[in-house]
Amino acid sequence: MTARAVTGTAVTVKVVLSTGTSLSHTGGEKEFEVEARNLRGVIKAMDARFPGLGAYLEEETTVAIDGQIHETAYFQRLGEGAEVYFLPKIEAG
Amino acid sequence: MSQPQQAFKWVGTRPVRPDGVPKVTGAAKFGADYHLPGMLYGKVLRSPHAHARIRSIDASRAEALPGVKAVMTGADLPDHPFAYVGPERLAVNFWHVTRNIMAREKVLYEGHAVAAVAAISAVIANRALALIDVDYEVLPHVIDVDEAMAADAPLLFEDMVTRGIDPPPERPSNVAKRVGFEIGDVDTGFAGADEIVEKHYRTAPIHQAYIEPQACLANWEGGGKAELWSSSQGHFTVRNLTAKLTGMTIGDLKVNPAEIGGGFGGKTIVYLEPVALTLSKMSGHPVRMNMSREEVFKGTGPTSGASMTVKIGVKRDGAITAAEAILKYQAGAFPGSPVMNGCMCAFAPYDIQNQRTVGYDVVSNRPKAAAYRAPGAPISAYAVESTMDIAAKTIGMDPLEFRLKNAATPGTQMVYGPKLAHGGYVETVQALLDHPDYRAPLGPNQGRGSASGFWFNGAGDSGANVAVNADGTVTIATGSPDIGGTRASMALMAAETLGIDYDLIQSNVVDTETVPYCHVTGGSRVTYATGLAVINACEQIIDDLRARAALMWDVDVDAVVWEDGQAKPASSNVGDFEPLTLKDIASKFSATGGPIGATGTVNAGGQAPGFSTQFCDVEVDPETGRVEILRFVIAQDAGRAIHPSYVEGQMQGGVVQGIGWALNEEYIYDEHGRLSNPGFLDYRVPVASDVPMIEPIVVEVPNPNHPYGVKGVGEVSICPPMAAIANAVADAIGRRMQDLPMSPPKVLEALDHRNGREL
Repeated sequence: MTARAVTGTAVTVKVVLSTGTSLSHTGGEKEFEVEARNLRGVIKAMDARFPGLGAYLEEETTVAIDGQIHETAYFQRLGEGAEVYFLPKIEAG
Repeated sequence: MSQPQQAFKWVGTRPVRPDGVPKVTGAAKFGADYHLPGMLYGKVLRSPHAHARIRSIDASRAEALPGVKAVMTGADLPDHPFAYVGPERLAVNFWHVTRNIMAREKVLYEGHAVAAVAAISAVIANRALALIDVDYEVLPHVIDVDEAMAADAPLLFEDMVTRGIDPPPERPSNVAKRVGFEIGDVDTGFAGADEIVEKHYRTAPIHQAYIEPQACLANWEGGGKAELWSSSQGHFTVRNLTAKLTGMTIGDLKVNPAEIGGGFGGKTIVYLEPVALTLSKMSGHPVRMNMSREEVFKGTGPTSGASMTVKIGVKRDGAITAAEAILKYQAGAFPGSPVMNGCMCAFAPYDIQNQRTVGYDVVSNRPKAAAYRAPGAPISAYAVESTMDIAAKTIGMDPLEFRLKNAATPGTQMVYGPKLAHGGYVETVQALLDHPDYRAPLGPNQGRGSASGFWFNGAGDSGANVAVNADGTVTIATGSPDIGGTRASMALMAAETLGIDYDLIQSNVVDTETVPYCHVTGGSRVTYATGLAVINACEQIIDDLRARAALMWDVDVDAVVWEDGQAKPASSNVGDFEPLTLKDIASKFSATGGPIGATGTVNAGGQAPGFSTQFCDVEVDPETGRVEILRFVIAQDAGRAIHPSYVEGQMQGGVVQGIGWALNEEYIYDEHGRLSNPGFLDYRVPVASDVPMIEPIVVEVPNPNHPYGVKGVGEVSICPPMAAIANAVADAIGRRMQDLPMSPPKVLEALDHRNGREL
């Protein structure tokens, strides 16, 4: 897979930090509305609101977009009204 | 139970396994089978104490022994800052890791590596170990998880403050971390229940018990470059960890995958590789190291033992109103038990709107826990599924009907955040309800038990190379060690995608310099993620083959389609051309543009979780307490079974390991914290005579995110067996076994103290 260019228009998505993730960056706040074109945009927007949170989300979480679990990778596309849950990474065996 | 099959030619077939002949003829090379000229033998000196401070190490007598070429201690490895790196659950603290590879200030468990020797023979190396003088200050130790959490417990790390609690505790403890998940209103949920069941459970730590002990060969080549041969579940991970631990850059270290004699999660990390490489660098010779079985038990990771409390509230109609699990997992000597997974998976098969799961990661003087098949999930499943059984019987429902009534379906809110996106659980329960043996009569001292399990399944980063040879054969190369039949599944998916015969494809696992990065073989991820990389490469090749056919026909590429392994004109308007097979085009590879090949790389997402439901029948001998497994049936959702024989083997293998976990396996420590049973004579894994034919039912609810519907099958099968057996024993003898293993002495004791029937 080669890197994908950012295309398309921004959509509004619901972002939720799972209770298993660190909420210290947000002062305990869990749910947010964010405009973004892809997951990279979500991470940037969250980092703009809570400096340092972006790196945490990139490094320490898995993401579920409308229930579908993905690695927290920049290129994941988002639909209007998508639910984006950040949850702890899962260990493999 | 399978969904209607698409018209696949290769997917779903059962060709002869490609690793069979090399394994049965002895041609397969495992970790200990590699030799190099001038090779030395490395041996590790291990701590005799469960907990001690190292005052000094004097290796001068060992170094003076003729034939000894190098002696190392922890000081010969670079130290690392105290920092957790990477995702929280997987957070690696290399300050800890390097101290687990070789102790520095303290030894934290019996078997902890203290020093290592390389010599011209194994005999001399062992003699040299006896000449290393270590001055220990023996400290109080603690093994048990509840005792380790006590306020007056000996501390492994005098400055460890529990993470995950806000504000942080003022005093240090052995509790490395607290994690928690919650949805709904748990208290209100319990208040609305007609019946509440609450029980406490304990499980013993158990080893992955792979047949092949850890082994590797290291060769420091000078100029900063080195090469390793190693048996592992991920030679790219071996490369990255070993480079970090020895101060190398990743690109300077080449790691070759050996055939692997079992891993089950325990070979996703390194033990010997940094030591062998350091000894090679110090001595100027290649160094081979392999563990004895005793070293495997004393020095490598088991999975956690646990102490757990589970509470479930139910209405009399069978609806669960609330559930709570408090899970305390042993991490071993360094933080990092799989308790977070235990929390996330505990109630995952069920639609419970009010849930709370809390986990504690607790260090104690035992080997550091390592991943073991669905890490953490089987432990909490034992406690939850036992409690589910009691709850069902409390309200007079069939346990499977109870599970079906509360089953998670797409859209169910999961405790870890999102809603469940994939089904498959209901189908596994229904498969057993429909099984004629589920209602077969039972004899005296016999009982039947059922249980379910959930595992996420993995995906992530993988790469693959696919090359078309001049004779029309195809070579696949991946970096995913094959521990469950993935060479065959890669070839089957490539055959299906390219439209050629399976027998024309060679599928190989190759070194770290030959193929792009592949994450470890773990998490039931390889057939899904590495499979997507292979499919991606095959699709690129098809585009290339179409272009070459267009060149040969002198038409536009859009006028060529690829069907049934052949390039064909897209319509009669294109011209009257005979189809070109892959072999036809391959034979013209040079004239049409050079070698034909492609690299597929993915960061795969969209994996779907696995569900398994199982029932078993047991008979308990009232004279000896021995539990005999009479019947075992497992239904598991595979998404799509690419090679059904391997899938069934994964299902059966997980159950067999679960039988051992349930009935016999445990570490027995003496009063000094020393392991009394570090061998297969006294640490009893199931043998063939212990298990009946395990009947697999492959449920297929395809994953729409994969071209062939793959989900992942390697792990979830080990989640339900412990509870299924405990529930069957309870059915047989009227005693609830809340402490694994259910070994004959424990069962006898339960029978002796029988005072009224327990659910």
